[in-house]
Amino acid sequence: MSDVILPAHDALVAENALLRRRLERERAARREAEEIAERGLRALYEHQRQLAFLEQIATAANQTRSVADTLRFVVQQTCAFTGWPVGHVLLTEDRGGGQRLRSAFIWHASDAASVAAFRAASEAAVFDPGSGLPGRVQQRGTPVWLADIATAPWFFRGSSALACGLRAAFGFPVLAGADVAAVLEFYTTSVVPEDATLLGLMAQVGTQLGRVIERDRTQDHFHRASHDDLTGLPNRAQFLHRLDHAITRSRHDAAAQFAVLFIDLDQFKLVNDSLGHAAGDALLIQVAGRLGAALRSPSIVPLGVTALARLGGDEFTVLLTRIATPDDAVGAAEVIQERLRRPFVIDGQEVVTTASIGITTSSNGYGHAVDVLRDADLAMYRAKSCGKARSAQYHRAMYLDAQHRLALESDLRRALRLDQFVLHYQPIVSLASGATVGFEALVRWQKAANTLVYPNDFIRVAEETGLIIALGMWVLREACRTAHAWHSAPGARGEKVGISVNLSARQFAQPDLVEQITRILRETGIDPTTLRLEITETTTMEDAERASRVLAELRALGLRISLDDFGTGFSSLSYLHRFPLDLLKIDRSFVSRMDRSGEALQIIQTIMSLARSLGMEVIAEGVETAGQVARLRALGCDYCQGYFFSRPLSAEIAGSRLKLPHHSPPAELVD
Amino acid sequence: MKGIIFNLFEEVVAEHCGEDLWDDLLQRAQVGGAYTSLGSYPDAEIAALATAAAASRAVTLPQVLRWLGRSAIPRLSARYPAFFVAHTSLLPLLGSLNGVIHPEVRKLYPGAVCPHFDMSATAEGALRLGYRSARRLCHLAHGFIEGTAAYYSQGVEVRHLRCMHAGDADCLLEVCLT
Repeated sequence: MSDVILPAHDALVAENALLRRRLERERAARREAEEIAERGLRALYEHQRQLAFLEQIATAANQTRSVADTLRFVVQQTCAFTGWPVGHVLLTEDRGGGQRLRSAFIWHASDAASVAAFRAASEAAVFDPGSGLPGRVQQRGTPVWLADIATAPWFFRGSSALACGLRAAFGFPVLAGADVAAVLEFYTTSVVPEDATLLGLMAQVGTQLGRVIERDRTQDHFHRASHDDLTGLPNRAQFLHRLDHAITRSRHDAAAQFAVLFIDLDQFKLVNDSLGHAAGDALLIQVAGRLGAALRSPSIVPLGVTALARLGGDEFTVLLTRIATPDDAVGAAEVIQERLRRPFVIDGQEVVTTASIGITTSSNGYGHAVDVLRDADLAMYRAKSCGKARSAQYHRAMYLDAQHRLALESDLRRALRLDQFVLHYQPIVSLASGATVGFEALVRWQKAANTLVYPNDFIRVAEETGLIIALGMWVLREACRTAHAWHSAPGARGEKVGISVNLSARQFAQPDLVEQITRILRETGIDPTTLRLEITETTTMEDAERASRVLAELRALGLRISLDDFGTGFSSLSYLHRFPLDLLKIDRSFVSRMDRSGEALQIIQTIMSLARSLGMEVIAEGVETAGQVARLRALGCDYCQGYFFSRPLSAEIAGSRLKLPHHSPPAELVD
Repeated sequence: MKGIIFNLFEEVVAEHCGEDLWDDLLQRAQVGGAYTSLGSYPDAEIAALATAAAASRAVTLPQVLRWLGRSAIPRLSARYPAFFVAHTSLLPLLGSLNGVIHPEVRKLYPGAVCPHFDMSATAEGALRLGYRSARRLCHLAHGFIEGTAAYYSQGVEVRHLRCMHAGDADCLLEVCLT
């Protein structure tokens, strides 16, 4: 039996061993399958996590937050994703043709205190291309891995990094087009071998961020095209755009009536000239701030503040789109005036500037934004011409007036070209001797054979358009030429007669004024000591320092200077001290009133005694009666001119008058 | 419960008590017994198997679970060495449970319910692990801790300051190196 059983037993043992081996194989196969599955699951998990991470970055990149905010978010998210405790952003700056990286001061640090030293070293560093980790990233334009900071001498922040316990790093570029616009770098506390997958992922993050930067640059470009660089306010184009919308709306919606306030600073040029352009810019920024604050005041907000813009220079505009009546706009202008009244402080100096405000409203019926702006500008101009710190509402007469001015301007240009101007000369008589000692040259416009236009009707437009510069120089040259002819005429008196010529503020502001006058003196051959330039206070007010210098240079040429309108403007004693003046002219308004106004007489007396004490001579203009002459003589006035002695004369008649030994009114009249 | 725990249970039973006992336990516990590490199986099955083991060896259920945890560590450390070589002693490894090891577990086993341990250090340098889980496997954790200490050749004493099995709302293990 055992013979039978034994083989069977052996067979069972053999079969058992066989089955056991099969079981082991199956078990090994199962383990392997499990491992393969585990690897797949892990990879899948990682992949999903990466996708989630990238999606988060992409979402942040598509949101309209600022570049800095996006960078901050990405640094923080990348630290969370990688588990690396420290992240830092550096930005590329263009400096002298080269590009270098500097800290953007955007960090994420899970334990800020422990990496403070590394942070300080990083923020102080500048990375040229190829220098340090950021420089390498920038140079290559691809991510760079640093497995162990301790073995990388080129990583020049190594000592501070190691001192803070940082061992491994990677960095990746933010590519805006082909430019490396920024570099992000991350640090961890242990040595970590290069992770190509992670670097690939980071390259994608860099691309996403690049889109944000490109978008920002585009928006910045757009913003710049529609906004004023200095104040950040919308510019003219943007204002016109919004105004066009307001015009359209006002047609369909009775409640959407609009007003435009055109604001122009009254003393801006003075600030710019006396304190410099930087101060002028600072003033404009502060004015923009005050205007913005004014528009947020409770009385203006309900009027529908739609735009505050800077058109350029010292011109600002406001668009209100929910006004009930034009009075609402006037009220808003008053609030603005009030806000601007308080002095500004620029570079520690108090600066006072008021504004002239022109107002127009949709009730004038507009189709185009430029027309609205034109009318508001005209109203502003009217406000300004009525004095500073005023507001004016547009009305049609302003437009007609402006049309007239435009026509006049073109006529004046033609007149200059066609030589239609002539000079008349009004005698200046010495009260001591009764002799004609000089003439004042006065310009007339011979518009047609029988039409003579007086300065009152064209000088203001000539001033405003700048035509006065050419005209004024023509007058000076012509007067000098005539005077020289008188001086050198056969039978001329031994003592040369003087010639007075008005010099306008615009002329005076010419940088080469002294050269121009020197040339005229040379070319006409006139004896400079016979020429007297008449200036007004406003001529010298804009830049007193320069005025003082220019006047001294003119006197050095031998000329004499007279102040034309002393007593009518801002006259002050310090003013008289400051400038080298030879003569004060008493304005005709005082002379004409001296007979009946004690005040006018007193002013004349004051001017006279001022002039005496400062060693100046005095001339009175507009003298028309013998009584005036007697009083002026009694007061000690040196010279007079006026109809009592003679109307202005043509050059020929004036020249012939010189040959007479004495003055004998009335003279021949030409006009 | 993840299949890997069943696999580990089978392996340590086979190693220390023979494969027949595992078959015996499967039968007593009336469970199928085909477990893959990646699968998830009813918590009741691990409880039934442990209860069967306790009965067959005449020991308590907590003793079985501690033994399972202690004996599984050499296998776990062979299978997932990275978690172990990253440290040189018990407490830092325990410290990495919430932040490193369990997140890795979740990578492999999406949906795995890993316990969160509230950790705090005592003035004496001991580590306290707060544990709260419907599975109430504080004794398995106890065994894992002992096995890990042995892996690092460290002596350890684990005390159950609070225990759900004693009617507490949660468990609090104090781990003290000796």
